Amino acid sequence: MQLISTNFVILWVISFALYYLVPAKRQWMVLAVASGVFYIAGTGGIPVGIVLTGVGAYGCGIYLARSLEAQKKALSGMSDKERKKTVKQGFERRRRRVQILYFVYSLGILLCTKYMVVILPLLQKLGMTTSASDTFFARVVMPLGISFYTLTAIGYVVDVGREQCAAQENPVRLFLFLAYFPAITQGPFNRYAKLQEEFERAHVFDYGRMLFGVQRFVWGAFKKLVIADRINLFVGNVFGNAAQGLPGSTYALAVVLYMLQLYADFSGYMDMALGVSETFDIYLAENFKRPYFSKSVAEFWRRWHITLGTWFKDYVMFSFVMSGTGRKIGKAAKKKMPRMGKHVTGIIGTMLVWLLTGMWHGRTVSYLLWGVYYGAIMCVSLVLESQYSIWKEKLHIREGKVYGFFRMARTWAIVFTADVLIRSESLSQAGQIYRALLADFRLKEGILSVTDYGLSRYGFLLLVAACLLWLSVSVWEEKGKDVRRMLADSPMAVRWCCYYGVVLLLLVTGIYGGSYDTAAFLYQSF
Amino acid sequence: MEEKVLEILEEYCEEAIDYDGDNMMEEGVIDSFTVINVVSELEDAFDIEIDAKYVVAENFRNKEAIIELVRQLVEACEK
Repeated sequence: MQLISTNFVILWVISFALYYLVPAKRQWMVLAVASGVFYIAGTGGIPVGIVLTGVGAYGCGIYLARSLEAQKKALSGMSDKERKKTVKQGFERRRRRVQILYFVYSLGILLCTKYMVVILPLLQKLGMTTSASDTFFARVVMPLGISFYTLTAIGYVVDVGREQCAAQENPVRLFLFLAYFPAITQGPFNRYAKLQEEFERAHVFDYGRMLFGVQRFVWGAFKKLVIADRINLFVGNVFGNAAQGLPGSTYALAVVLYMLQLYADFSGYMDMALGVSETFDIYLAENFKRPYFSKSVAEFWRRWHITLGTWFKDYVMFSFVMSGTGRKIGKAAKKKMPRMGKHVTGIIGTMLVWLLTGMWHGRTVSYLLWGVYYGAIMCVSLVLESQYSIWKEKLHIREGKVYGFFRMARTWAIVFTADVLIRSESLSQAGQIYRALLADFRLKEGILSVTDYGLSRYGFLLLVAACLLWLSVSVWEEKGKDVRRMLADSPMAVRWCCYYGVVLLLLVTGIYGGSYDTAAFLYQSF
Repeated sequence: MEEKVLEILEEYCEEAIDYDGDNMMEEGVIDSFTVINVVSELEDAFDIEIDAKYVVAENFRNKEAIIELVRQLVEACEK
């Protein structure tokens, strides 16, 4: 079920009405039922992987909580320091084993489902499948949002083990946290303690809040339908015809537009998800903070898919660096290389995170290279950070608007290079595009043929106008202004002109398929 | 103790000394690389072990929070 679909709007409206009609302590149940309906309707089958992952997280959480309780009891009557240490280590070791077992189990399910698209054709080629088994795998083994669901479940288990939250005793409440319907397909990644607090609060209907939520949903749909899907017409055609050897300038435009498409598509989804959730008075974590205003790649990734970055940092990077192995490596490196050794665990942690980020985004070698590329840039820039101020002084570079813009442009160039890799249909196509960009730019030919790839002159004008509107809103937000509040405080005539204007633009100029369905969200496939 | 923590912070992240907000990690004042180096130095300086569960935005929100974290861990070690 897509967020922009009649079925979703019906589900939203019905659950919204019920949510504010039932007593406060039953409101979470409405959301749990809505999430179940969304899930089953969206998958069209039995979400076996999801059930297994969820049941495992529930059991593991309960075990960890019981073990922590037993540890406290065992230690409370003990006075011998050494004995205390040994008993504590015993409990910790058992908990770690159970956690590792759960990680292997849930990641195993994730890998099986994610890589089934690679494995299944192989089995089919070998004649090891039947039509019944194909249908079974298609319906049962491809659950919606399994990547988000699995990482969220792992985060929950780690948080319980770290005593950052209490284990959930009610499996339905845990299911709601793991599969909350606005966030299940593409995130944001939620932290259990924070979201549980939101679910447990009493929520009272508020007209202003409802309006803000709907506004954000419509704004997200505008970004998706008017900007992202329009760009897709051009980008899809350029990359689809890349075998014909197009001018480098055409590729350059296509990649720049793809950068915007990815951002409009994903942040548009986030606006819709957060808007829907806001109408239920449930506030989800922000996932984007205008990343293209970033002055470095590190800052870019602090502003882009924020919750995924935080997840990997908290649960992978710090867990590795502060583990026994991480500490051993760090100490050995410091001994051998007094100056550079301190960076070693950070470098390994960063590369590990980026390799996993690449693998999480896609199944191809291009995504692995994409991860290595970003990891290497991060490591080099962080290690050389202390040198920057020395170079800047030597080169007489002063902080200011011009230098700030240069840094922004440098970040765009780095992202541009990476996006060629993930948008190209193969590594050889990416190579061909890099070559054309560097040695076969043919600017004039590119300009003259710009309307040959699915977007007319009118389409481009509309796209530019929509992007300018988006840019204006982003600049206001970057200056710390609350655009929705500004709109709410403006005179009624202005306010309603804006509402009608955006809705009209959405209906008239949005890119729809048959029956007003939309193209799938790009991040849904990650 | 406070002086030693500030000394380590100054060595790895001068900006953290002047920062007066309460979200140093999310605002990018201190990046994860620096956090790792600071944690390692604090562990060596105070003979403590800072587990990953303590390395969260809440405990690294500003210099005062870091000092408080070290104080708690040192006290826990002494008990």
